[in-house]
Amino acid sequence: MTTALFSIAGAVALLAAVMVVTSRRIVHAALWLVVALGAVAGCFGALHAEFVALVQILVYVGAIVVLVLFALMLTKAPTNPLPALTTRRSPFAAVVALVLALILGSGVVLAFGNEKLKPVPDGSAEAVGTAVFRTWVLPFEVLSVLLLAALIGAIVLSQRTGKKGD
Amino acid sequence: MIATAWRVVGVGFSLLVILAAGLLYGVDPQQTAFGGSFVGNDVFITYDLRTDDLTVLLLAVVGVVSACVQLYSIGYLNERVASYTALVTLFTLSMVTVVVSDSLFLLLIGWELMGACSYLLIGHYWERRDARSGAMKAFLMTRLGDVGFLFGIFVLGLGYDTFKISELGDSPISPGALTTGTLLILVGVIGKSAQVPLQTWLPDAMPGPSPVSALIHAATMVAAGVFLIARLYDVFLAAETTLTVLAVVACVTMLFAAFCAMAAVEVKRVLAWSTVSQLAIMFAGLSLGTDDGRHAALFHLLTHAAFKGLLFLCAGVLLHQVGSAAFVVLRRYTRRGALRKRMPVTFVTMTIGLAALAGVPGFAGFFSKDSVVEAAWHHARDGSTVGWIVLVSVCLTAALTAFYCVRLWLWVFFRTPALAGALGAFEDDDPMADLEEPDSSKLHEGSWLMLAPLIVLALGAVGLGYADGLHLNWAIALATTVLAVFGALPAYSLWRRGADPRPVVLEREFGVDPAYQRVLVVPVEWLARLTVGGDRDVIGAYVRATGRAGVLASAGFRKLQTGNVQTYLTAAVVGVVALAILAGVIGS
Amino acid sequence: MPLIIPLLLAVALFCIGVYGVLARRNAITMLMSFELMLNAVNLNLIAFDAWHVDGLATGQTLAVFVITIAAAEIGLGLAIVLLLFRGHGHVDADAARDLLEQERGAEQ
Repeated sequence: MTTALFSIAGAVALLAAVMVVTSRRIVHAALWLVVALGAVAGCFGALHAEFVALVQILVYVGAIVVLVLFALMLTKAPTNPLPALTTRRSPFAAVVALVLALILGSGVVLAFGNEKLKPVPDGSAEAVGTAVFRTWVLPFEVLSVLLLAALIGAIVLSQRTGKKGD
Repeated sequence: MIATAWRVVGVGFSLLVILAAGLLYGVDPQQTAFGGSFVGNDVFITYDLRTDDLTVLLLAVVGVVSACVQLYSIGYLNERVASYTALVTLFTLSMVTVVVSDSLFLLLIGWELMGACSYLLIGHYWERRDARSGAMKAFLMTRLGDVGFLFGIFVLGLGYDTFKISELGDSPISPGALTTGTLLILVGVIGKSAQVPLQTWLPDAMPGPSPVSALIHAATMVAAGVFLIARLYDVFLAAETTLTVLAVVACVTMLFAAFCAMAAVEVKRVLAWSTVSQLAIMFAGLSLGTDDGRHAALFHLLTHAAFKGLLFLCAGVLLHQVGSAAFVVLRRYTRRGALRKRMPVTFVTMTIGLAALAGVPGFAGFFSKDSVVEAAWHHARDGSTVGWIVLVSVCLTAALTAFYCVRLWLWVFFRTPALAGALGAFEDDDPMADLEEPDSSKLHEGSWLMLAPLIVLALGAVGLGYADGLHLNWAIALATTVLAVFGALPAYSLWRRGADPRPVVLEREFGVDPAYQRVLVVPVEWLARLTVGGDRDVIGAYVRATGRAGVLASAGFRKLQTGNVQTYLTAAVVGVVALAILAGVIGS
Repeated sequence: MPLIIPLLLAVALFCIGVYGVLARRNAITMLMSFELMLNAVNLNLIAFDAWHVDGLATGQTLAVFVITIAAAEIGLGLAIVLLLFRGHGHVDADAARDLLEQERGAEQ
């Protein structure tokens, strides 16, 4: 059962990812990204990491993609299909990605070819929560500072270079 | 001020040399040594001096001629006096070194110094192009001979195991080494004394001041070759081949030079070729290999120094007063005997000098040339071919000498009785030039500073003939006088007719100089250009290519900086992939 | 379920993300592809956490942290893209070659 769920979600994710990188309309690429992220959240769920799946949907789909759409709007992204949406070096990049895939894939297969996942009965929210506030509390706090820094950085970057004094 | 100081030093030094000669006269031969230095590990060279008859003779010659020249130069020269006088004094010193040296290396030092002084003095009027090139030519040709000289010293010194002249010949030496050594020394002598094939520098050294020509290129430096062979005579006597070579060279040279003198149109050039010819007569005497021959050669050296020095100084007076020594120019002053009448002392002394040169009976040249002929005759009668060759050559040269002496005398000082004043004999195509009347009112005799040495040398040109005691072989005397007359008559008749037919081959001096130019100078210059081109285009190309390679490499590297972020990222990913593959390959 | 399936899916997603980062022209699509890569990493972490259950729930925690960092990063990234748009009038990553050293003479 887990395998079947995971396979469906994985196939959707893969398809959507391909569409993200090859779509000719930018806004369509962003929407396909939503599908891909959602499918990945489904994968998480199939692996019994429900908490992470929910966080994924909340943060990624809910916030990040919205941010991307806002940016597309602010940069006047054209809605018509653009043929020149990939650069001239895309064949070379495809080759590089393929080789990378081969290497990583073979490495993974060599290392973990025979392992199997054991079925996990219960959910994970309680375990994750406990881990975060006990073992991983320091990284948690640092991440807070990181978010603060990102916030301030974004504000600073988006200010106009003092032309009119304000 | 400095010039005056140098003049005093110069004259004083010459007088000192004469004094030394006088003091050493009749004193027993002796040697002293001072100092020494190591060359390599086992060769020790001492600086030795010796004095004997030969030394005294040469010291006297050098001293007297140098004193005359120094005095004459005071009146003759006006520019760069200090350097000139200093160089002439240095030259005298180096000639004295050559003469008193008993060590071959000390002799070489003096020899080379003389060559350097000669170069500097010929180029005294360095504003003139012919002076510069003449000086360079003289220096290079004598240097060429000096290379042979140096190696000759090495061969002889190592062969005899000593570099002391008085000890040469004491130890046995292999005949091959002896011949090689003497031949090499002969090369040096040929260079210094301007014999064939290195004879072309002496006539081209005439752009130097006339007193320099008198001292260096008539009396002393070119005679140093004769002195050297006379000094090393014992060594040369043992080397038969070298003496034969010397005889051949001498005979060829004396005839060659006499022919060239017959066609020269400038007084100093005639005298230069004459010097070469007379030197060859001295060498011919030495090459006979007998004591008579050596004695005769040295006698001729003595008299030649007197009359040739005198002749050059007279030519200097003419040059000084008239401005040129070319026949062309001098002739114009003979219209009313201007040269004769206004410069009587010069005329008389020059006549004496020319008479001595031509071998007129009673003058010094007559006696000394006769002694050479007599020595050759004795040697030939004893059955030697060398003797016959020398005899014939000297007799022929005597006739030719008389010819060019009379030619010079007549054309310079007397007006030809031919009609129309010998139009075109010397001028090329300018008949009107002969009708010009140059201003001879300002022509006057030189100052007493210039005349006194002339008179002294003229006395020598007359009196030195009797210095050897008077013994005359009447047959030979008659024969040489007849030969001289045979030579003089054609010159007189040509002058009477106002003609001076100069065969082209003689005017071009047998084309030796152009031949040297084509065979030696042009290839060397070509080689030099090739070397420069090779350095610039081959070696330099590599150097420049290194620079260009650096520039090209940096230009290539600059192409990597596209400024495109995605390119950089691609490169990074490719690098990671490559490293992963590498790690995998190494790990497995 | 064999462990390989999630892992291979993660590899595939990662490489598709790499292709997208290197080949896409629009800067925002580059960032979107980058999000794909991060998701692949998260998938990897979760899969390993499901395979080797340790008491610390390391994989899932780290996945949450990665999501957080991704959020921070895209915020800043989009701010930079907006700056690029403001300066050049477009967000073409291929045409933005300001990192290129100018020829001598153009700079001064």
